[in-house]
Amino acid sequence: MQLPRLGSKIDTSEYTDLTRVVSWFILLRWIAAFGVVIVLLLVRLCLAYVLPYPMLYWLTGVLCLVNFLFTLYYAAIKRKTLSRRELAVFLHVQIICDYVLLFFLIYFTGFLENPFAYFFVFHIMLTSLLFTSDIVSVYTGGLIVVFIGAFLCEYFRLGESTDPRYFRLYLPRAVGLCSTLAISAYLITNIKSRIAEKGRRVEVELNRYKELDRIKSNFILQVTHELRGPIAATNGYHEMLMRGLGGKLAPRADELVHKANRRTDNLLQIIDEMIDYAYMKSEEQAAYTRTSMKLRQIIDYQLEIHSSQAVQKSVELVGDCPPELTLYSNRDLLNIILSNLINNAIKYSPPRTTITVKAASEDREIHLVVQDQGYGIEPEELEKIFEEFYRTRKARELERDGTGLGLPIVQRAVESLGGRLTVYSELDRGTAFHIFFPSGGDDEQDTDHR
Amino acid sequence: MSKILIIDDDLDILETTGSLLEYEGFEIHSADTVEKGLEMIERIAPDLILLDVMFPEKKTRGFEAAGEIKSRHPEIPVFVLTAINREYAFDFDKKDVPAEEFINKPVKIDRLVKLIRNYL
Repeated sequence: MQLPRLGSKIDTSEYTDLTRVVSWFILLRWIAAFGVVIVLLLVRLCLAYVLPYPMLYWLTGVLCLVNFLFTLYYAAIKRKTLSRRELAVFLHVQIICDYVLLFFLIYFTGFLENPFAYFFVFHIMLTSLLFTSDIVSVYTGGLIVVFIGAFLCEYFRLGESTDPRYFRLYLPRAVGLCSTLAISAYLITNIKSRIAEKGRRVEVELNRYKELDRIKSNFILQVTHELRGPIAATNGYHEMLMRGLGGKLAPRADELVHKANRRTDNLLQIIDEMIDYAYMKSEEQAAYTRTSMKLRQIIDYQLEIHSSQAVQKSVELVGDCPPELTLYSNRDLLNIILSNLINNAIKYSPPRTTITVKAASEDREIHLVVQDQGYGIEPEELEKIFEEFYRTRKARELERDGTGLGLPIVQRAVESLGGRLTVYSELDRGTAFHIFFPSGGDDEQDTDHR
Repeated sequence: MSKILIIDDDLDILETTGSLLEYEGFEIHSADTVEKGLEMIERIAPDLILLDVMFPEKKTRGFEAAGEIKSRHPEIPVFVLTAINREYAFDFDKKDVPAEEFINKPVKIDRLVKLIRNYL
């Protein structure tokens, strides 16, 4: 057997597993030595068997000494990382020592008459778990050869004093033991290879999912770009027309451009909702990166980007948040939540009303409220507003475009951030969405609010 | 008059954003590739740069270009314009991009002008 190839013959997955196996072996050996002493004492005192006790105690002493050396060596190597080859050599030395000592213990205690001979099955199992099938065959084959050799030697050593029934008595036991060893080795290596095969299949599947995830991310990126890009350009042209860069518009033309612009704005909103929805749906337990951020900056940013929409509807937007209020959160999700709620509030509020976005720290929680003085939601519809694609009757009346995904997205985003969401609404008085986030997190300050 | 360089592969964005900013009183130069843009920076020495992210050759070319510009001209403010308004879509951390502002398209011109005036 070539030493350099030994490392590759270890057939168990992880290096840390292997070092753990070594410490486990050492422990088992201490237990075995203790067990041998106890059994020898019991056999001697209670059953009065005639056995070469001094030799057996001596063998047990060797077992303890060897294990003590292994313990010392293990303590020494624990601090440094052995190569797989070095570790394999260490394991082989231990296994060979175990085989040799067990063999002599069995040999001097009745050999085939000793039922503990079947303890070799455990040794074969452990060897099979650790090494590849060719190494296991070498160990099993070697052991069987040694057993047959010892069996024949015993016959010739005893010479004429041999019981004439020697073969009749012991051959079936020898065959039984050897075939048990061979079958155990075969079964364990076979089961192990099946498990390994399953593991490989799982790994292939996992890689496939990772690839799909990458394709999905790319797809989202591409779709977002392809859809938002042209709308951005269209909105740019609308803006040019509305500002008179294409010459002064007749009042009717100006009105038409404004209408067109409103629809493209809606379209943009719908695209964002659908993409957010698709993303959140696919990322069941997405690990959203979180940073500390000033909530006030995010609220101000959202109020600013919705300001022109509010002006068009003659709705007043008011922010109320202490400047120092810090939230440990994901900026994308927080923007998605606020953007959807503010956008809804504007869409479903009559002119000359106020929308308030308020945040405050309360009892280790951060309480965020988006409150409007709008049309409100019918009580029987209130429980349905978080259902996917559901749009209230009033919403359908007031706004033709809409996916019915805004609030489900908000709810999902709040949950992903570990928060709670509740809604209160009164017809013709207004609606208030209350969100509670656990406060905390003292990560590096992040002042980027977009 | 402050000089603004817009680098974007979408000619319509160049035309609309350029015209709107020109109307607001800026001197506008435009480039439809990063390479042309980098070359123009040396030639015209702009006061501010508006930079798109996705270019046909690479999806995050603009992020890289921001680094290239800043390494040569750290004094010029760079605004990154992106049609993608969600960070999760990029496997690129915005924190690693040395830009002063990140602006989502479609650009609201009043907001853009306000931000530009903060830097000029």
